[in-house]
Amino acid sequence: MSRSSKKSDIGKLASEGLWQNNPIYCQVLGICSTLAVTNLVLNTIVMCVGLVFTTALSSMTVSLLRSFTPRNIRMMVEVLIIAFYVIIIDVLLKAYWPEMSGNLGPYVGLIITNCIVMGRCEACGNSNPPVMAFFDGMFNGLGYSFILLIIATVREILGMGTFLGFGVPYFSTPYWDKWIIMVMPPGAFFMLGLIVWIFRTIALPKESK
Amino acid sequence: MNINTELWQAFVVCVSAAFTQNILLSYFLGVCSFVGCSREVKTAMGLGFAVIFVMTATCALNWLAYYYVLEPLGLYSFRFILFIIIIAAFVQFIEMLIDKYSPVLYQKLGVFLPLITVNCAILGAALFMVIRKYTFIVAIGYGLGSGIGWFLAIIAMAGIRQRLANERIPKGLQGPGITLFIAGIMALAFIGFTGVLQGK
Amino acid sequence: MVEKRWFPVVYMFTATALVSSIVLGLTGFTAQRVKANEKLTFEKAVLSVLPDVYDQSKKISGLELHKIFTEKVSPPDDSSFGAYLFKQNGQIAAYALPIEGQGFWAPIKGIIGILPDKKTITAIAFYEQNETPGLGAEIAKPQFRNQFKGKVIKDGEKPFTIARPDVALDESSVHAITGATQTSTRLEAIAYNDLKNWQEKMK
Repeated sequence: MSRSSKKSDIGKLASEGLWQNNPIYCQVLGICSTLAVTNLVLNTIVMCVGLVFTTALSSMTVSLLRSFTPRNIRMMVEVLIIAFYVIIIDVLLKAYWPEMSGNLGPYVGLIITNCIVMGRCEACGNSNPPVMAFFDGMFNGLGYSFILLIIATVREILGMGTFLGFGVPYFSTPYWDKWIIMVMPPGAFFMLGLIVWIFRTIALPKESK
Repeated sequence: MNINTELWQAFVVCVSAAFTQNILLSYFLGVCSFVGCSREVKTAMGLGFAVIFVMTATCALNWLAYYYVLEPLGLYSFRFILFIIIIAAFVQFIEMLIDKYSPVLYQKLGVFLPLITVNCAILGAALFMVIRKYTFIVAIGYGLGSGIGWFLAIIAMAGIRQRLANERIPKGLQGPGITLFIAGIMALAFIGFTGVLQGK
Repeated sequence: MVEKRWFPVVYMFTATALVSSIVLGLTGFTAQRVKANEKLTFEKAVLSVLPDVYDQSKKISGLELHKIFTEKVSPPDDSSFGAYLFKQNGQIAAYALPIEGQGFWAPIKGIIGILPDKKTITAIAFYEQNETPGLGAEIAKPQFRNQFKGKVIKDGEKPFTIARPDVALDESSVHAITGATQTSTRLEAIAYNDLKNWQEKMK
């Protein structure tokens, strides 16, 4: 593969994963974790790093094994690979960064069953070479991450008046009556619906009537 | 604990899992298929029943696996791998059974079954059941209740969306957008149940 | 070979075995560190509820924390029914009672510090909780915890109350966290059960 075509392949993967086929507002996957984790920007960052890492590596591993894996057990194998990477992250965090492990704790299961990871493994890892699968996974993960960071920023500022734990001017003063609903489940749904609406309107091509 | 108090506790846990601690609207589990497959009541019913069945059965299987295999060996860190393999294998097995004995049912339901493997609610229910140290009967009640709760949520959503099918919804909001807003309102409504019944 | 009937089973088995052994290996390798971390978190929580044991505003290393803990705190004995003892000049200066129960997502584990009168609370600290960040998890923040200082455990049916945020407080109640009804209710149940049991036994 010549260097220029490889670069344009990667460029294509990037534009798809980040914008045109974004996992959240296009494919509508990975919603569970979006809602649960976007309370705090810090937790979101940890979740996103975990997800990019898991999606890229799982997709690549599935791709490496794709010629050996029998068809009828391929889902179980994918699930096993995903669980493996997630547990490794969890074990390492528990040992070397316990506070962060505490934050990520309940969400570990959410990454394993995150439809994005499984979806990319099925859609791309099964039928493409490892390097492509890796980048596809990575860009989808990044597409997920930037949307989540937008949501988390809004939710944390409006709901708690802080950003990354630091007080934000005006929002952390008693003048701002915190929108607790932003920190609770309904707020998550509303915020996500809003983001999907905004991005679908600007990013998707207009269909003719 | 004698059988009567256990059954009563299982009942309480079942009802609270369906309403006050709805696995979808309070714990955000299983939202992907909820948003994706709730366009019509018929499809939603199919998926909902499948979820109830798989959730109850896998809660039972996972309970047995956890307390008879993992605990004696002390391998708690394996629960993720074990549970997800049991769920995936069970769904695969059911798919094969249905395909063999009722091709009609397979046509209707077949596409949902792989979707259920990745449904976070199923794994989530198994993990909660283990963390809260439920006994076997209570665990079955919990699986059943969570499944029913998920079913209720998706049926309600499908009903609402079917009503909206002829309304003029802005282009960007059609599909997942409006579903999420409706889900938000439903979540608000379910918060009202919070004080009613407390499961363990 | 890929088409043989036994291949999927063998494949699955090998894959699971490989994954399991790596995970097991890593868990075993880090187990000691994890245990040490957990122990330290527990000790820190116990020390933070005892009055005037160390200056909580200063940063302190794990080793020093452990040293203070082993010097000043005695493990529970037959007369204290599970509470850790803080003795000064041979007299009991405070009890540190561990409390534990089911929270909204996962178990909540904490320590309540109690004065020798067995009624007055000095402080509360949590060493394990996985509640919703921004809502239930606020129980670990100073804002919620500071309410407990000086509160009294009542005799009788309901020793302690976690009340709604708009209700007036008395000497045995604190305000719950807005929006975290489930966590607050469960914490109240945990505190009240464990405190009640302990009080009965200490009589």
